[in-house]
Amino acid sequence: MGKIFDWIDRRFGVKEPHKKFLQRPAFGMPEKVNYSYCLGGMSFIYFLMLVCTGLLLSMYYVPSEKEAFKSVAAITNDVTLGWLIRGLHKWSANLFIIFIMLHTIRVFVSQAYRPPRELNWMAGVLGLVIAMASGFTGYLLPWDQKAYWATEVGTSMFGTVPFIGDYLMRFVRGGLDIDGATLIRFYSMHVLFLPASMAIILWAHFHMVKRQGIAKSL
Amino acid sequence: MKRMKRRDFLKKAIKVFFSIIAAAVLSVFIYIYPSKIKERRLQFVYIMDEDDLPRKGIRKVEFQYKADDKEVANRVFLAAAGGDLTAFSSVCTHLGCLVNWDNNKKEFICPCHAGKYDMNGNVIAGPPPKPLTRLPLKIEDGKVYVGIKI
Repeated sequence: MGKIFDWIDRRFGVKEPHKKFLQRPAFGMPEKVNYSYCLGGMSFIYFLMLVCTGLLLSMYYVPSEKEAFKSVAAITNDVTLGWLIRGLHKWSANLFIIFIMLHTIRVFVSQAYRPPRELNWMAGVLGLVIAMASGFTGYLLPWDQKAYWATEVGTSMFGTVPFIGDYLMRFVRGGLDIDGATLIRFYSMHVLFLPASMAIILWAHFHMVKRQGIAKSL
Repeated sequence: MKRMKRRDFLKKAIKVFFSIIAAAVLSVFIYIYPSKIKERRLQFVYIMDEDDLPRKGIRKVEFQYKADDKEVANRVFLAAAGGDLTAFSSVCTHLGCLVNWDNNKKEFICPCHAGKYDMNGNVIAGPPPKPLTRLPLKIEDGKVYVGIKI
């Protein structure tokens, strides 16, 4: 590799322990792979898009009861290219979920969840749940009527859980009603907890793909 | 005193370690759970004068009140039939959206999941598990107050 990389690698020592990983696996790629095997990778691209545009949005977004709606309006109308970043974030979020679903269908149809890949299927399901949770928490952040009522409905569902429903709902809302406490709670989940968990899950997901190879197609 | 075997000591140490982790996780949940949950009390809020009360049919009444220094908008439905007056909360008993009164179909319709209630607040279609909540009304000195939990 290049001089700069070698200089870093002599000190950081990342190449040697990852040699096996960087090599082409001995078992190679199965025959008859097609473009549907790219759906997982596409989902990952959208995840990267979401991280990048989300980081940019967080520079202007203010997660407070009084400022949230105004700041989103400002991002859309006043910030240069703000409309673009917000649009990319929104559409990437939609496509992220869609591509995860398609990827899940592909894995299901090609029976790639069979041993020894059960754990990777579980990791994938967890990833889907985190993606859904990110969508749910992100939906509240514009703090408009649609966001408010969607969250009213969504958090009320927690209240229907037997016995612990009321506690669960207050836990999610950060109080009795949806207010500033809910907003900042959702914001924290959306920008810290969920992306961090997603990164760990994805690392595990890809690690297992690399270890076990691509499943033989039918 | 008998000396502890290294193996037993390690076993104990691992138990202690995981107990600490469990305690930490528990305290995290306690930390996240809201510490101050306001208790709701029934309060009567002015909505209209007695002279404006509907004689027949359903009337949507929108009003505002102050709670915790915040202006809160709310709406109730007054149903008048044969001299009886009932106040219905507009909150759908399914998942908390606000219902509307459809005067042509003579039913309350929730925009979220198409829950439907009749004039008496009873469920006629959709997912709501309970009839619309009836609210207490109070008339004093020609002014109408509705009791809501604030």
